[in-house]
Amino acid sequence: MAIKRKQKSGPVSPNTMMLRRTLFLMVVCGIVAFLLLALRLFRIQIIDHDYYEALAVDQQLRETTVSAKRGTIYDRNMNILAMSASVSNIYLSPAEMVMYGEDPALIAEGLSQILDMDYNEIYEKCQNRNSWYVTVAKKVDDEIAEQVRAFKEAGYQTLNDDGKPVTRAFQGVKIEEATKRYYPYSSLASHVIGFVGADDYGLAGVEYYYDDVLSGTDGRIVRATTANGTDMLFTDFEDYYDAQDGESVVLTIDETVQYYLEKHLELAVENYDLQNGAAGIVMDVNTGAILGMASLGNYDPNNYLEVDEETQERADALAEIDQETADAVLAEARNAQWRNKALSDTYEPGSTFKIITLAMGLESGAITMDSAFFCGGSMMVAGRTDPLNCWNTGGHGSETLTQAIMNSCNVALVNIGQQVGAERFYEYARAFGLFDKTGVDLQGESNSLWWDEDTFFDPYNQSQLAAASFGQTFTITPLQLITAVSAAVNGGNLMQPYVVSEVLDGEGNTVSQREPTVVRQVVSEETSAHVCEILEQVVGNSAGTGKNAYVAGYRIGGKTGTSEDVVYEAQTGTKRYIVSFIGIAPMDDPQVAVLVLLKAPGPNASTYVSGGQMAAPTVGSIMADILPVLGVQPVYSGDEAAIVDRAVPRVIGLDLADAAAAVTEAGFTYRTVGSEGTVTAQLPRSGSTIAANSEVILYLGDEEPQESTVTMMDLTGLDYESARIRMGWAGLYINGEGAMLSGSAYVTRQSVPAGEQISVGSVVTVSLSDSSNLGRY
Amino acid sequence: MNERNSISYENTRLADYTYDDSIERGNVDIPFTMLSLLLLTIGVVMVLSSSYARAYYDVEGVTGGNGTYYFVRQALFALCGVGVMFVCSRVPMGFYRRVSFVVFLTSIGLLVLVILIGVVGGGARRWINLGFTTFQPSELTKIGVILYFSLLICQQKEKMKTIKGLIPFAAWLILIFALLAAEPHVSAIVIIAALGITLVFVGGANLGLFIGGAVGAGVLGGLAYAFLPYVRDRISAWRDPFSDLADTGWQVVQSLYSIGSGGLMGLGLGNSRQKFLYLPEEHNDYIFSIVCEELGFIGAVLVLALFALLIIRGYWLAMHARDRYSCLVCVGITTLFALQVILNVAVCTNSIPSTGISLPLFSYGGTALLLQMAEIGIILSMSRDIPEQK
Repeated sequence: MAIKRKQKSGPVSPNTMMLRRTLFLMVVCGIVAFLLLALRLFRIQIIDHDYYEALAVDQQLRETTVSAKRGTIYDRNMNILAMSASVSNIYLSPAEMVMYGEDPALIAEGLSQILDMDYNEIYEKCQNRNSWYVTVAKKVDDEIAEQVRAFKEAGYQTLNDDGKPVTRAFQGVKIEEATKRYYPYSSLASHVIGFVGADDYGLAGVEYYYDDVLSGTDGRIVRATTANGTDMLFTDFEDYYDAQDGESVVLTIDETVQYYLEKHLELAVENYDLQNGAAGIVMDVNTGAILGMASLGNYDPNNYLEVDEETQERADALAEIDQETADAVLAEARNAQWRNKALSDTYEPGSTFKIITLAMGLESGAITMDSAFFCGGSMMVAGRTDPLNCWNTGGHGSETLTQAIMNSCNVALVNIGQQVGAERFYEYARAFGLFDKTGVDLQGESNSLWWDEDTFFDPYNQSQLAAASFGQTFTITPLQLITAVSAAVNGGNLMQPYVVSEVLDGEGNTVSQREPTVVRQVVSEETSAHVCEILEQVVGNSAGTGKNAYVAGYRIGGKTGTSEDVVYEAQTGTKRYIVSFIGIAPMDDPQVAVLVLLKAPGPNASTYVSGGQMAAPTVGSIMADILPVLGVQPVYSGDEAAIVDRAVPRVIGLDLADAAAAVTEAGFTYRTVGSEGTVTAQLPRSGSTIAANSEVILYLGDEEPQESTVTMMDLTGLDYESARIRMGWAGLYINGEGAMLSGSAYVTRQSVPAGEQISVGSVVTVSLSDSSNLGRY
Repeated sequence: MNERNSISYENTRLADYTYDDSIERGNVDIPFTMLSLLLLTIGVVMVLSSSYARAYYDVEGVTGGNGTYYFVRQALFALCGVGVMFVCSRVPMGFYRRVSFVVFLTSIGLLVLVILIGVVGGGARRWINLGFTTFQPSELTKIGVILYFSLLICQQKEKMKTIKGLIPFAAWLILIFALLAAEPHVSAIVIIAALGITLVFVGGANLGLFIGGAVGAGVLGGLAYAFLPYVRDRISAWRDPFSDLADTGWQVVQSLYSIGSGGLMGLGLGNSRQKFLYLPEEHNDYIFSIVCEELGFIGAVLVLALFALLIIRGYWLAMHARDRYSCLVCVGITTLFALQVILNVAVCTNSIPSTGISLPLFSYGGTALLLQMAEIGIILSMSRDIPEQK
């Protein structure tokens, strides 16, 4: 062909038109199109780079969290108050179910049985087809997690690509480790410890305040994965961030002290029909360490959402009508039970504040230990139209400084306040830390509220100064009061209160240790010693208003307080009382202060509503229980030794002469049953603490105590000696608590109610209270 | 080369294909050869990089978990391809002209055959199973159309300027489109249509025809968009691929992720993350996305520049062709390469709606690669006839 063509005409060269059109193609296909494509690439790769990269990385990286173990919370004796245990979260990866063709019905079936959940609920979660993470169950125990793991591995039967039957594990079922918080002592110290939410974040108390310390840092494994979720080959795109376990904290709280504090507060709630619970703080006066802090009603941090039965029933009933109202009721109840009344609720301290007025009077030189006062029952104050009344409107007459405090005399205190003067009073109040938060390491501390300077300093209206002198017309927190009072009795140093004394690492090594912080010296040691001297008389002297806080063998000082709940009144217009007592012991070397607030005694209170009648005995009971724990040994004075209860010695196995000597030596009388042989049994049993001079029964030879019961009698209103004798007639024993030394103390309560059947030889505890001189002091 | 003008085809037969003959015809075009081999090399390396993950994880499939499965096969085909290119560059243009109609008819015959015995894949019947590999007859049709249409243009001469002279082209194209539509194979229709139009364009058809055709195509497209919901869906899926992740949108989105992740410098050769089963067809239609991800904007533009140079050189060779047939064949093959590169990259970058067009010299596929090397060989063959410029 070619030859023929060539012979005819020869090959024809491309003409100009062809060349032009080829050139056109060259420009369009070789240059223009490629420039456009390069521009397009520039847009995607350079301008939108970050956008696409983020999306790509988002799908390429799988992040697995390795949860850090939350630190432990110990009390001061290394008892565990809060700890974390490992549990598992169960979740689904519906995307992988789709990818591997797993049957959601099978998975829902299996999991619903193991987890005891609704089949449909799990099946619904499986339908979330684009998701890699759908939570099914959180914080299940290891045992359950193990069952889920077994179910996952057992998998399902299917055919592989070659049609052979194979068993494949469920890739869509996932188990991840998590931790769960346990509080072994349940509600004990719940307001100090706080609690953690579902995600292990501290929400209250130390758990919240020290969340950073406790929580540690979660570890992460970031893996680059294929679309199938398996690891990418040869990529260094894998990062491990080790979990940093949380550090542990050691609290200043003493579990035993806390237990007694709460126990006696609970008794007070019951006995005095307290409508708004109670608050209490036990503080080491020398360091500011908080040994115990309680707020009733409280909650169990293990189930912090649970409210008391009554409220729950009310909410349930409401829920049938209106869910929103029911939820509001529950929310309100929860907020109330989580609120730390010792820290967050402010109040007028009332007469307990007189300790501070006394300290500033002595320190400023406005008064001396020799100052004398006269109380006619009322006095006129500049700026007031009506006279200011003492709680004892009959008047206290002439009184020394000590007597004025013992009497809790308002008139005398107003005198002291006036002599100190408004400006100095204000300065001292500030120095005692009553204007600022204490800075305690707990969340939720409230601010105090005082009159502004202009009002307080007004020379023509001294009513604010006058009222402030005996603790009214300003509000502070209980913690501020106990901190200020501690400063007044510890030698004059205002300490910063704290609850965490030490931070420990995972191995128990100390990371940091809290040293007591002196905020400032407020009063001199001399003033402090005088204050102690006077406060001891308030309790120890039978004429003192705080005598119901007396504990035999301990030198306790303190001050009563009865105030109207002005915060509540401002909110509701209803009047109710807060009765309080702050006790300090031992007065020769103050170690510990106990402040108790009993809020809103109700109509069924068993005694007269006042700090002296309610809070003082409560503090006394707390002191009696905690002082031995804190290593303060009782020392009995001569008077006390005659009256104080004592322990029955063990005399079984001794012959009569030795037994009689031992019993007599211990301060008891005795009678015998049987005539010969050694002592084979005794009533009451050895170790029981009973009133001195009680009659111990010694059984000789074959004689044995007879099993018999008697009806418990009503001891209320008897003095201690009479009660002992009456009980002795029935073959029963007593021991006492409260104002045992006071000549005018009578039984107000008994541990076994009258009318109950009780075994002969039993020991009944009676509470003695001095109800002479009743008043709102 | 002084004897160039005295070259005679009198004794030229396939059996006379000798070294001496080669010397006589002059050397192949060095720039075009080097560009081709360079792109082929890069392409084979990119097949290794992009296919490794897919091959590795496909334990139960053809690769049996052998990561280099695709690479080894592609490399072998590339070696064979170089041989094919060499042979084709030795074959004189006259031979191609002689066999053009046979090749053309054979390819049409195969198009019929594929409808009868073809292997189904992705909802279309496009492949013929050769046992050791599969083969797309439409690939052969492309070169068949180039070879035969070029000849036809030479034969039509001045008739090319008339409508009547274009009737044979139109008739053949309609037959081919019908066969391709039966597979169906839209991208092949698009490319063969473009090839046909280009050849006729360069072959001297009236310019008004193309302007009219462009207007007509625009109107038809507008009508299709207005009245065919399928077209509208297709267009909207293109404008917003994120709206249609379940279907083709997934590929496009993954491709954009790959390209975007590359940034300026890329993740480094072998370091693509998208190839780990995220991006479908990663060693095939979307291999360029992996190039972008691993080599970055710089690397991608470099590859595009090499292609652009290859294409510019191809047209340059066409413009210097000794005879019209060579010129037209060279324009056709160059345009075929240009179209495939441009359309493929445009699809990867979501610049046009998604359609299955592979990237010449890069995409995995043995027979397609052999054909491409043969096509390059043909250009090299015609380049040898170009009088050396001084």
